[in-house]
Amino acid sequence: MSLLEVRDITMRFGGLTAVDGVTFDVRQGEILAVIGPNGAGKTTLFNAITGVYEPTQGSVKFRGSQVRRNPDLQLVVRAALVGILGAITTFVALNVQEIWTAAIEANYLLDTPFPWSKALRDGWSTARAVPLAWGVVPAVVGGMLGAATVLALWQRLRRTPDLIARAGLARTFQNIRLFTDLSLIENVLVGMDSRLKCGYWTNVLRLPAFMRERSQSAAEAMELLAFVGLADRAHAAAGSLPYGHRRRLEIARALASQPAVLLLDEPAAGMNPSEVTSLMQLIRRVRDRGVTVILIEHHMKLVMGISDRIVVLQYGRKIGEGTPQEIQADRRCIEAYLGAEDGL
Amino acid sequence: MRARVNPILIFFAVAAALPMFFGATGLFYDAFQSIFVFALVGLGLNIITGFTGMLNLGMAAFMAIGAYGFAILTCDIYPFQVGFWWGLLLSGAIGALAGFLLGAPTLGLSGDYLAIVTMGFGEITLDVLKNLEVITKGTQGINPLPRPTIGGWTIELQDERSWYYLLLLILAVAVLLVRRLERSRTGRAWLSIREDALASQCMGIPPKRTRMIAFATGSAVAAIGGALFAALLSSTGEPNSYDFQVSILALCIIIVGGMGSIAGTLVGAVVMVGMNAIVLVKLADWFGSREQSSSSNVLASPNNWKYLIFGLALILVVRLKPEGLLPPRLEGGTPALPPDASKPKSGVSIGGGGA
Repeated sequence: MSLLEVRDITMRFGGLTAVDGVTFDVRQGEILAVIGPNGAGKTTLFNAITGVYEPTQGSVKFRGSQVRRNPDLQLVVRAALVGILGAITTFVALNVQEIWTAAIEANYLLDTPFPWSKALRDGWSTARAVPLAWGVVPAVVGGMLGAATVLALWQRLRRTPDLIARAGLARTFQNIRLFTDLSLIENVLVGMDSRLKCGYWTNVLRLPAFMRERSQSAAEAMELLAFVGLADRAHAAAGSLPYGHRRRLEIARALASQPAVLLLDEPAAGMNPSEVTSLMQLIRRVRDRGVTVILIEHHMKLVMGISDRIVVLQYGRKIGEGTPQEIQADRRCIEAYLGAEDGL
Repeated sequence: MRARVNPILIFFAVAAALPMFFGATGLFYDAFQSIFVFALVGLGLNIITGFTGMLNLGMAAFMAIGAYGFAILTCDIYPFQVGFWWGLLLSGAIGALAGFLLGAPTLGLSGDYLAIVTMGFGEITLDVLKNLEVITKGTQGINPLPRPTIGGWTIELQDERSWYYLLLLILAVAVLLVRRLERSRTGRAWLSIREDALASQCMGIPPKRTRMIAFATGSAVAAIGGALFAALLSSTGEPNSYDFQVSILALCIIIVGGMGSIAGTLVGAVVMVGMNAIVLVKLADWFGSREQSSSSNVLASPNNWKYLIFGLALILVVRLKPEGLLPPRLEGGTPALPPDASKPKSGVSIGGGGA
């Protein structure tokens, strides 16, 4: 059974079809490489998988089901609540002067106890006397607009990157996206966010649960930094790191959520040969932790060296899939990507 | 690494000691009371703009909401009269609610668009306050407001020293709580959105929810600042006390002090408000002593050109030290525990332990 099933993913931007009906499976515990010439749609495919884009067509199933928010009772309740609250607020806002005068001003005398129940009754009767066309109709329209907005927003938020990340798909970016003003350990802790449980008030009040979680998460973050070899700089700003180390920090940050799948977008770009070798070792060690790895890469030594299987894209279409040996023997793949004459 | 004393602690130590040197002058207290109030407003804006990166040009509106909320709940011309402390807490809650209501439909917007929305919100709030005379008393403002009582002892309006320490204490509590938020999961989520919204979302942080929490928190802090502003005057003042220039002043405070830095916000408030309330007042006195009345010469009244100085200060800071006077700095203050530390640190102070 596959961990991730990518089915017929198509991404169109206006008239441009960047990814065209790509289908492949990712198996538990493997390293899968996606290769192809520049502009073949690899990063777009990643973005469609991780929810940055909503695919024009097709589906991505993770552990047998699609990661998305399904319409449920909570949504209906929320839309209804927003509608009712919106209607009440609109109504009160339109008639606040009359209601306030009748309920508060007319009943309040300095230094006498305020008749709360009479005030409520007076306010209510004033509200009921408001003509239909002047208070009720705008309120109902406003409320319905509010409820419709909730539903429309929800439609857009069905499949967002944060939801997919929380389901267990972590990623890195082609153009490294670190939180440069934060320290290394803070970067990793942000990655760990989905596993942390302390809420707002626990954090403000520093309850014992916060103290426990803080020391535990810091220890785990240090362990991850040690895993990628950056523990000695844990408190330096991420922006101060040299390029090669930034990739490693991005990997540590992505691993912090303990994902089932790690998607690496060109991890070896711009690295020198010795950095590539150690990156290969790092990716193998990530896999050995039980994380399935999908990577986009142009660096053939790395791809052929560590991938279990390879998917080849060209002009948004999949033109080949197989083990490194099979791909190296496939004429179409070689011509598309490695050049028509020499092969590898 | 060189151990450095936390600038926030220095600020509060100096502020606590200052009245001993300036004992009697009313000018000193006037200036510092408004410095502390605007430090609170700046602190709120710092959460929204400094930490989370949402440009908010309507901070005065939240200050006004806090001030009017406090006034309506406590003034004896209304039946509520909940008292000073409940009024303060509830005005914070009203500010948070207002921030939430403004944020819910608009925080999907980014950058300039949000700035325009908040600016519009500021103007609308002003107009509502001016025109809803039944409730807000229009341009008169609501007064009188109650004095704070602590265990049977009431701080009178004339007792400036007690007010000074009361405001300092409230500011210290606010700073402590904001600092705690900053150095927690909540604050890290805010900072990560400012740094890179997409990467943050791909790390599983829900952007809208996180922004909303930041917006509501910042609004609440600013609203408490507004409530204190009103309590100090024993009146909300006229609605124009919360106009766009106040929002810009709040923004100047955090830009001059250093975006995203709590210590910077405090220093920014001292510099910007202090300039307004000490330097310009002294200048006015000096002009007055030379018998240059403001009616004969427009330039003789510093109030007429103070915004020129604000602008100049802003230009100087942005040109010479764009990160602000006291930029946020990384420190071991974030869970700075060695990997083998199993027990949490005790005795956490405002500094969060810069060991």
